[in-house]
Amino acid sequence: MADETRLDAPEEQGRSAHPPTDEGRRQELQRTYGAGPETVTGIQTRYRHDDRTSRWWLVSSVFWFVAVTTFGIIIATELAEPEAFQGVSWLVFSRVRPAHVEGVIFAWLTMMYFGAIFYFSPRLLGTRALWNETLGVVTAIVYNVALIYGFVAILGGGSTGREYAEFPWIVDLLIVGCFVSNIVNIVMTVSIRLVRPLYVSMWWAIAAPIWVSASIFIENVMWHPGPNPLWGMSGFLENGLHDAMINWWGNHNLFGLWLTPVLVAVTYYFVPRITNTALYSHTLSLISFWGLVFVYAAVGDHHLLQSPSPGWLKTIASINSVAILIPVFAFFSNIFLTMRGQWDRFFTSLALRFIITGWIFYLLVNLQGALQAIQPFNVYVHFTYFTIGHAHLALLGGFTILGMGVIYYMLPHIFNKPPYSRTLAEWQYWLVTLGFLAFFIAMTIGAFVQGQSWLSGTPEVNVLNQLHLWNIMRAVSGSMIYTAAWIQLVNIGLTFFRDTRGEEAKAARKDAIAGHPADVAEPQATA
Amino acid sequence: MAEKDSKKRWEPIYRSAPPGWATHPRKRMLMTPMLIFFGGIFAFAVPTIVAAFFQMAFFSPPVSDNWAPYGEQAARGREIYLANGCVYCHSGFTRPQDVRHGLYYTYPRISLPGDYATSDEAPNLWGTARIGPDLSQEGGFHPSDWQRAHFSDPRFTTPNSIMPRFNFLSDDEFEALTAFVQQRGGKAALVRYAGQQVAKDGMLAAMGMPAPPAKSEAEAMTLAEVARGVKMGGFMQMNMGMDMGGGMEGGEEEHQSILHPHDEYMLNFVDRTYWVMSNPLPVTDYNLLRGRMIFQERCIGCHGVGGAGVSLATRFLRPVPFDFTTQEAAQSVFTSEGSWYYKVLRGVRGTAMENFGSRLRVDDIWRVVMFLKTIPNGGLVAGSVPTIDQYYQWTPPPELLQYMKQNPVEKAFDFTTEDTADEPFLLEAHRIMNGMAPGYSFHIPGFGDVSLERFAQLIEEEYNRLLEEGWDAFIARDGHPIPPASQMEIPPELSKELR
Repeated sequence: MADETRLDAPEEQGRSAHPPTDEGRRQELQRTYGAGPETVTGIQTRYRHDDRTSRWWLVSSVFWFVAVTTFGIIIATELAEPEAFQGVSWLVFSRVRPAHVEGVIFAWLTMMYFGAIFYFSPRLLGTRALWNETLGVVTAIVYNVALIYGFVAILGGGSTGREYAEFPWIVDLLIVGCFVSNIVNIVMTVSIRLVRPLYVSMWWAIAAPIWVSASIFIENVMWHPGPNPLWGMSGFLENGLHDAMINWWGNHNLFGLWLTPVLVAVTYYFVPRITNTALYSHTLSLISFWGLVFVYAAVGDHHLLQSPSPGWLKTIASINSVAILIPVFAFFSNIFLTMRGQWDRFFTSLALRFIITGWIFYLLVNLQGALQAIQPFNVYVHFTYFTIGHAHLALLGGFTILGMGVIYYMLPHIFNKPPYSRTLAEWQYWLVTLGFLAFFIAMTIGAFVQGQSWLSGTPEVNVLNQLHLWNIMRAVSGSMIYTAAWIQLVNIGLTFFRDTRGEEAKAARKDAIAGHPADVAEPQATA
Repeated sequence: MAEKDSKKRWEPIYRSAPPGWATHPRKRMLMTPMLIFFGGIFAFAVPTIVAAFFQMAFFSPPVSDNWAPYGEQAARGREIYLANGCVYCHSGFTRPQDVRHGLYYTYPRISLPGDYATSDEAPNLWGTARIGPDLSQEGGFHPSDWQRAHFSDPRFTTPNSIMPRFNFLSDDEFEALTAFVQQRGGKAALVRYAGQQVAKDGMLAAMGMPAPPAKSEAEAMTLAEVARGVKMGGFMQMNMGMDMGGGMEGGEEEHQSILHPHDEYMLNFVDRTYWVMSNPLPVTDYNLLRGRMIFQERCIGCHGVGGAGVSLATRFLRPVPFDFTTQEAAQSVFTSEGSWYYKVLRGVRGTAMENFGSRLRVDDIWRVVMFLKTIPNGGLVAGSVPTIDQYYQWTPPPELLQYMKQNPVEKAFDFTTEDTADEPFLLEAHRIMNGMAPGYSFHIPGFGDVSLERFAQLIEEEYNRLLEEGWDAFIARDGHPIPPASQMEIPPELSKELR
């Protein structure tokens, strides 16, 4: 049934099993493609992909995830028991918290996302490898070094103190440099592609790094970098008012133009891939792509709705924050309709379960975010734990759980070994999902306690006693997430060191890699 | 086979069009790399220009009347504040819904765009969370020694705080951070800060105490040394009036009042109507127990678990926290329950005593005050509960009644109707010495006359010094637009409710 909607169905049946590596084949494909849309074709990519770049980025992200959840559990402990670390300077809450936030965004999620992009790009473009795998590996190494320097700076008291832009200027510069290097790699891979039409995931993979690197550059690189550019301030505007507004404009772009797009791209890749179904609608993909970028780049100032910033900017931010629901619903319904009739895979394929769970939380975060960006509700919840719950709904519930699916699917494929233990992965899934839910509930209840108290004139210090219970719940649920991070590291590590030379292991590998046969076609562009 | 039909319908047009002018409709919606690349940049640029660059181009208000630049030390403190991430729990702007017309509230005014429109406020400190209070108006709400103790370990001063310790910072960093926090809130904060310093000078002179120690000096002190200091009059000569020795004798001739200067000072910073007020609540076991509960929740940080003013915070604080365990504390000129109530409610300028008016219910404050009167008789002994017979009934000492007769303040001074109501320095002076009215004065040896006028003058001098220092430092930090110098001349405006 699904094949009826696929333009390339006739081609697919007769596809060659030989690796189409030569230039002549490419030209042939282009000729074929030029003859008419019916011959738009995918290439059965049976060759062994290079994946060196992807491996570097993904493995780094697995380690970084343990590191950033370590930061998280430290600060959660300190909120429940403030004397826990007795005033050790580099473990103090206010230094570890930016390390946690920056780490989640730039270390864990960004590295995982680039790993995912570098994994699916050759597969969707029909190439054996990226344009330059070595460049990707070198970029990964530079990026890791920059991150380590950034964390040492933040924990050592060299944070710039601008939220979400705490890394020193040199690290911001290196991050943008690494993004540009990856953009070059992706764009060049696109230019040498063998599959002519670009699948949806590739749109995002091309555009999102460009958007976010431009945003980071505008937010905290291009302005004057302060007296000591190496250790000191990342770029900031001379006028504190303008600085605040551009700070928050840029901060929200990290979510809107980087973390969200790649979540969309990854979901668009995996759901058709794992369920072996064509994507439901090309039109909905277009709406989600263009809609998202048009509305998302102007929502940042909803962080400043009661601040002394201009009213027109707040209005734009509020309206756009609600308008976000249009592309989000387009994306959501597209995936939902692709999944139609295949929900059994949600239970059988663990990678798909991670991804679909992240996708559901992502819908919730958008509903919550739209509500939160409306003035009357924002009056009630701004500055409270609600923001923290919301941020974790996006970054933990949405992007991280999705990222775990990415790791669980891709790294065994890259290692060419079945995952070490499904049981461990199941534990990981339930720990992170339930841990996150408990966290979210604690934050939301705590937020309503805060919001209600503050509006009735109770000062912050009086609310602390009532928050204590929720801070404890936060630390306990945080420890569940922390455990999940270690389980992921152990499971991936044991997968890597698994001995698969035996016949039995070979047989298992044939169909056990991430729970489905390996020779399913890659998803393709349809119109 | 609708697909086939559409193909047939489109095929002739598609084939007959000039090359490049028409594509098959199924192909038209395919995305090409060029479209993604350039279209993506365009779609990003449009909202970026609106949301990020329009505000820079079209929204540059002049600095507000209340804005004041940071001094050199405060600017350094701001960097420490940023580097240590204080902003993650302490937001940096006051929202309209935060402001309360109350005496004790920490949000006296709504933040205006002009408060942030200079390079002194960059990088921004607006923040996204309030686990602790907003600090955009913090300047002058606490004295500097309180700030030092609080940075060293917040639980010294606020037992239920969850703020981390910052005792790893050096002495210099402590001073810079304190200077910054004390100057936050523009001109109004500078007036409050100046008021704190003047009040501190007067208080220390009246008590014959040394200035507060530096951070490292305070932290080196052990609890035993603190106890010795309190009991034996080591680094302080604790109040009680009677045992003020030697140095004070010289001034005794000048001192006309029947009260000891220290007592007179302590009395006059409480509103006159509270001087002999008794507790409106009945003395019951419940009230006493509730009072003790609140004392242990809020007060033991500074006043110590025994209520004797011996605590880790005491190492930092001059004047030292009050000792409640003595009989003199129970029965003295300035220890009526009304006076104590007033001090808990509104705080005492120049001392580490904070205002608890917004944190405690009024009846709870009366219960704490009631409980305090049982401490000399063992109301705070561990393992027991305060009983009614431990309660000490305060009665006005005859010298107090005589003093009140000799020094009547004819008319209650009402700042809301007086002509001087808009005079900020007088307002601040009255906030320090709540029991005084213009034209009334008394003498403190070693300090001179105490009157609202003199205090206002001292505050104004200190305010001008701070402001000029700030402007000099601001101009010295080059490479940024400087607001017109006339901004400096605009007088500070204090919220009247805050006096």
